[in-house]
Amino acid sequence: MLWSRSIVRRILWMHVVAVGTIALFVPLSLYLLLVAETSSLHREAMREQADRIASHLVTTGGRWRLDLPKDMRDLYSEALGRYIYAVVGDDGTVLFSSRYAAQAIFPDAPFTSKPEFLQAEPPHSNISGTRIPRTEGDHTVYIEVAENLSHRDVLIDDIVSNFIPRVAWITLPILLLLLGVETHVVRRVFRPVQEASERARQISPRRTDIRLSLQDIPSEIAPLVVAVNEALDRLEQGFRVQREFTADAAHELRTPITILRTRIDTLVDDRVAEPLRRDLETMTRVVTQLLEMAEVENMALGDSERADLLAVAADVIAFLVPLAIAEGRSIALSGVEEPVWVAGHAEVIGRAFRNLIENAIRHTPAGTVVEVIVEADGTVHVCDEGPGIADAEREFLFRRFWRRDRKRSGGAGLGLSIVRRIMELSGGSVTVANRTDGGACFTLRFRVVPAAADQDGAAVVQAAERDDGAAPAS
Amino acid sequence: MRVLIVEDNEELARLVVGGLAKAGHPAEHAATAAEARHMLAVDTYDAVILDLGLPDADGLVIVREMRARQDPTAILVLTARAGVDDRVEGLRCGADDYLVKPFAFEELVARLEALSRRPRAMQGQVLSIANLSFDTAGRQAFVDEVPHVLSARELAVLEMLMRRKGRVVPKKLVEDQLFGAGGDLSSNAVEVYVHRLRKQLAERGALVTIHTVRGVGYMIAEAK
Repeated sequence: MLWSRSIVRRILWMHVVAVGTIALFVPLSLYLLLVAETSSLHREAMREQADRIASHLVTTGGRWRLDLPKDMRDLYSEALGRYIYAVVGDDGTVLFSSRYAAQAIFPDAPFTSKPEFLQAEPPHSNISGTRIPRTEGDHTVYIEVAENLSHRDVLIDDIVSNFIPRVAWITLPILLLLLGVETHVVRRVFRPVQEASERARQISPRRTDIRLSLQDIPSEIAPLVVAVNEALDRLEQGFRVQREFTADAAHELRTPITILRTRIDTLVDDRVAEPLRRDLETMTRVVTQLLEMAEVENMALGDSERADLLAVAADVIAFLVPLAIAEGRSIALSGVEEPVWVAGHAEVIGRAFRNLIENAIRHTPAGTVVEVIVEADGTVHVCDEGPGIADAEREFLFRRFWRRDRKRSGGAGLGLSIVRRIMELSGGSVTVANRTDGGACFTLRFRVVPAAADQDGAAVVQAAERDDGAAPAS
Repeated sequence: MRVLIVEDNEELARLVVGGLAKAGHPAEHAATAAEARHMLAVDTYDAVILDLGLPDADGLVIVREMRARQDPTAILVLTARAGVDDRVEGLRCGADDYLVKPFAFEELVARLEALSRRPRAMQGQVLSIANLSFDTAGRQAFVDEVPHVLSARELAVLEMLMRRKGRVVPKKLVEDQLFGAGGDLSSNAVEVYVHRLRKQLAERGALVTIHTVRGVGYMIAEAK
């Protein structure tokens, strides 16, 4: 059996089976009923005729006399050949008969005192009728009336024999019409359910505020919808708690570091302040990475987010270059000159760039340049002139808390896993390769989108950058 | 410049007020949004350093209020919030700058000074870096107090760089400043002026370096 998971199909399938069964049984049972009805009509008619014959049977001085009116005689004429009668004495002698060869109709059936329905013995089995007793004084006679069923009335004959081919087929179109109506009704009933499913499809970590409407939902399915909505409530609550935790953690961690940092910055003796400042910077970087990781882990981006890779790269480089120059390195931007719009959040993509560039600066010798290349196809390369990535390290590189040199302090080893997570969020990828002339080259691939109509977010940030050189928050 | 610092953490506020005083900027402290509103109503400041996480209100509300009544006071938002949308939101509300905790105190002072200068750029002042100084009113550059003659465009480039010392000046900004926005010019026109300026400063013994950040812009810093 083709058992489908669709409720509509199941209902319709069951309907087809039911229709098939009904289409078979209804004509059959109607046929049987009709047959039974015809035979009861026949019996009634026989009984009536026997009674009428009995009413014309009179006895005068021990002799029986039958005086049938003309219409009755015609009915029993041999020419018609349809009905026959016989009046038989209790000794079996035939007193009267409609046939020339006077004989009993049911000679083999024993006499009883009650009316009976009988069928003649073969080869006359098409003859069927009744026998009733009639008693006058101490004389009893039996009146037999029968009908030759092979000459039965045309109408009844037709009804019975033509019923299946002529009438039964009507049930099939009726049932098929019913099937069509039912399909329509079932579809209608399920439309709100389908609409609810469409709405549920829009739910994403970014859109946890969506709830399914109970309007028009069939009461059998309503509990499922309510349960889904409740699950969404809990989900949204979970996301909110997580976000709040990250925000609170950021505040609780950053405030004491800020106090410490300010205290060190306002120290007069630089010989004391400098090493403290360096230690604190390491700590700050670790905290920042942890918070960034926590944030991007629980983040989801909407489909409409887009960013200009060139602008983001320029902003991040402008922010990082003073630090790079202070450490004897430089950063350069090359590739396209026109904006490259890709799917993603400008601030988030900027973090990916920042992590890669900071990483490159930390792992390359002084005097080298970190090259950022933006290509029109949404690819960004961050290449350095350092020692490159050993093949053995490549698989660990993007793991959390992995660091090449554990003895060296610097970060939590989260930078590259943040980059990878950001690329996941943006629907892109990150790969790493070594340059032929040495040095590592990280390649970020983004999804290019048509230039954005609303460049609001990016525009505000850029305006601020261009204007006073404010650094991106980090 | 007079600064109001709105920060609920007493210890941090005390340190910032002390540090600003040492840097020559008298500062006052408000611990709550209500207190800040009151102080802003009765007094005038050149800049407000505003923490967003106040006990009685979101700091952004104060930014909106100030901008709604067209208060021109420079606002520097200071926050532990570093969520991806926070900075854009802060700037959209009308803040002039946004600094995430923890920050280098030097950075805070530099940003504040940049903010206070911005609307009054015509006002004369002396910018200096190492042994190089620049008088914005007299439009004159000095190396070791000795005045040097530079062309108008070289002076314009130098002024832009010195106003943003230690930070990158986007190439586009220099182009617009020198040749007007949308001006048609060969892409290395700015590079030519920078190169000339670099050469002249070196000849006169200025202990500064003008870094070219290829594809991004220029930055002036003390020579190493």
